[in-house]
Amino acid sequence: MPESTRPRRRVVTRVIMCLAVAVTAWHIFASFLWIAPWSPLREVVGQEKLSAYMIPMFGQSWSVFAPEPVNGDYRFEVRALVDGQATEWASASDTELSMIQYNLFTPRAGIVAMDVSSQLKGAWADLNEEQQGVVELNYFKDAWEERMEEALRAYGDTDVVDAYMTQEHRATAYATQVAYALWGDDVEQVQYRATRQNVIPFADRHDPEAERPAIQYSPTGWRAPVVNDGQSQEAFTDVFRAQYERIAE
Amino acid sequence: MTAGRGDALRARAAGVGSVIARAPRAAGRLLRMLFATLGRIARDTWLWTESWLLDEKKSLYGLAVTRILLGLTGVGLLLTNFSTRLYTFGAGSAWNGEGVRPVSDFPRIWLFSWFHRVAYDDVLFTALYLVLLALAVMFTLGWRFKVVLPIYFVLWVSFIEMNDAVGDQGDNMYRIVLLLLLFADPAARWSLDARRRARRDFPTLLPREISNLLHNLALVALTAQVIFVYVSGGLYKAGGEPWSGGYAVYNPLMTERFGTWPVLSDIVTAWGPAVTVISWGSIILQISFPLMLLTRPTRILALLGIMSFHIGIGVLMGLPWFSLAMIGIDFIFIRDRTWRRGADLVRGAFADGEAKEDEPAPAPAREAKKPQPVR
Repeated sequence: MPESTRPRRRVVTRVIMCLAVAVTAWHIFASFLWIAPWSPLREVVGQEKLSAYMIPMFGQSWSVFAPEPVNGDYRFEVRALVDGQATEWASASDTELSMIQYNLFTPRAGIVAMDVSSQLKGAWADLNEEQQGVVELNYFKDAWEERMEEALRAYGDTDVVDAYMTQEHRATAYATQVAYALWGDDVEQVQYRATRQNVIPFADRHDPEAERPAIQYSPTGWRAPVVNDGQSQEAFTDVFRAQYERIAE
Repeated sequence: MTAGRGDALRARAAGVGSVIARAPRAAGRLLRMLFATLGRIARDTWLWTESWLLDEKKSLYGLAVTRILLGLTGVGLLLTNFSTRLYTFGAGSAWNGEGVRPVSDFPRIWLFSWFHRVAYDDVLFTALYLVLLALAVMFTLGWRFKVVLPIYFVLWVSFIEMNDAVGDQGDNMYRIVLLLLLFADPAARWSLDARRRARRDFPTLLPREISNLLHNLALVALTAQVIFVYVSGGLYKAGGEPWSGGYAVYNPLMTERFGTWPVLSDIVTAWGPAVTVISWGSIILQISFPLMLLTRPTRILALLGIMSFHIGIGVLMGLPWFSLAMIGIDFIFIRDRTWRRGADLVRGAFADGEAKEDEPAPAPAREAKKPQPVR
């Protein structure tokens, strides 16, 4: 580069440049460590310092569909006790699925029930056998959540119980909205069924006899309805009921 | 003869002696030359880097296209979810408990808590939703970008983090890219701002060199981000049995959530070899992406490949907005020269019938709407 055509840089510009380059280099290095699988290289920075920088603004995880992509469907069905009579099971996940199937522009409303099912089932799977027995019982009298939690803790007082109770509340509150939307305000109790069913294995996909593997259940009993503060039943019903009727046609 | 041989030996010994005597000086010279060369290389590298960072903004057209596609992603996502907004994010979703105990960190941060605070007020929530939609449109058009982008960024993050459960990794990517774009100048081309600023020779708020510096470093960080995402995604996959076994894409396509077009999923996965080509192809493409960017022919291949990959995800797996955003970001790797040539072709196609000799031949009209192929 000939001297004469080279622009003259001011010192302050060069100082700013060096600082900005250093900051960028740090950001790139931190992103690299965070995005890459965990490795001893992280010790250079330290896990805590790295987390403090990356979370929440640069929080991300790219092990999507890896190492093994999802190979099953999570479904969520609900039934209710109305005037002492149990209704038929209604599939909340199928209802919402109809919003995204054969639709190029998929609303996020289409995956809500699947998410409720997958989170509940995940928390349920962490319970031990006795605890799974507890949640299979019916809980519909006053303060049922407290009583259920107490019963669960009797068989193991761990974080697993906290995680499960959060999901139990969430799933019941969702099931309550579904029940109110379909069967009205006279719903006395609700029961939900969170299941998973794997797809036909790749090797058998052309076998006309092939059937999907058995449905995996996570049995839960009847519950008293749960409604969170701020819940608009109307906003839920407007969408859910319309969709339910559309697929029933 | 012996005397002659003796002379020769003496002469050689004297020669060796003088070589040895000169060695320190010669070594000193060579070392000086070496240091001078190294010094020149260091100096040239420094000056080149300085010039690269400070003298002009790189990839202005590519970033403009990124801006437009990211903007369309925002507009599209908001329109797609508009009729179910209360159900998924608003008062209809209070059952999920995120109103009391947010799952995401962002609603707890004051700056990003706007949507969280009005979540269960249908009127305010809808008003804010429409404001965000308007901002997304302004972002796409590049209107008053320096003001619109920070507000859009804050409100967008505030909105998308309301309901963590239905989010995906695309939300993280979108947030990170918007944040990096704050330092860049994606509205310098093909925007409403560009038309206005062109009249005054593109004024910058900061001194021009600093403005260029931040723009180019943002571009570097963006490139690193994209590359890390692709390569790590490929490496994470490579360890899994369904991927190494060459049938991995079959599984999600058969599920209800990630196989939203069951008939197409059946067609795509019917022939085994094609399933393997797609499964392995995506891993190979992801891992080799950074190296393929280095030369033009492989870059074309990499970009066409990765875009097909995203279109496949967008259509077959029901993740259109995630895919559109990723495609938008990949466009930074197409050079300004190529974009300008493409734009000229389009302009030529729209020009009057009496096109001049030196103008490119008019392209068929239907090509005008889509981006030109990579050059």
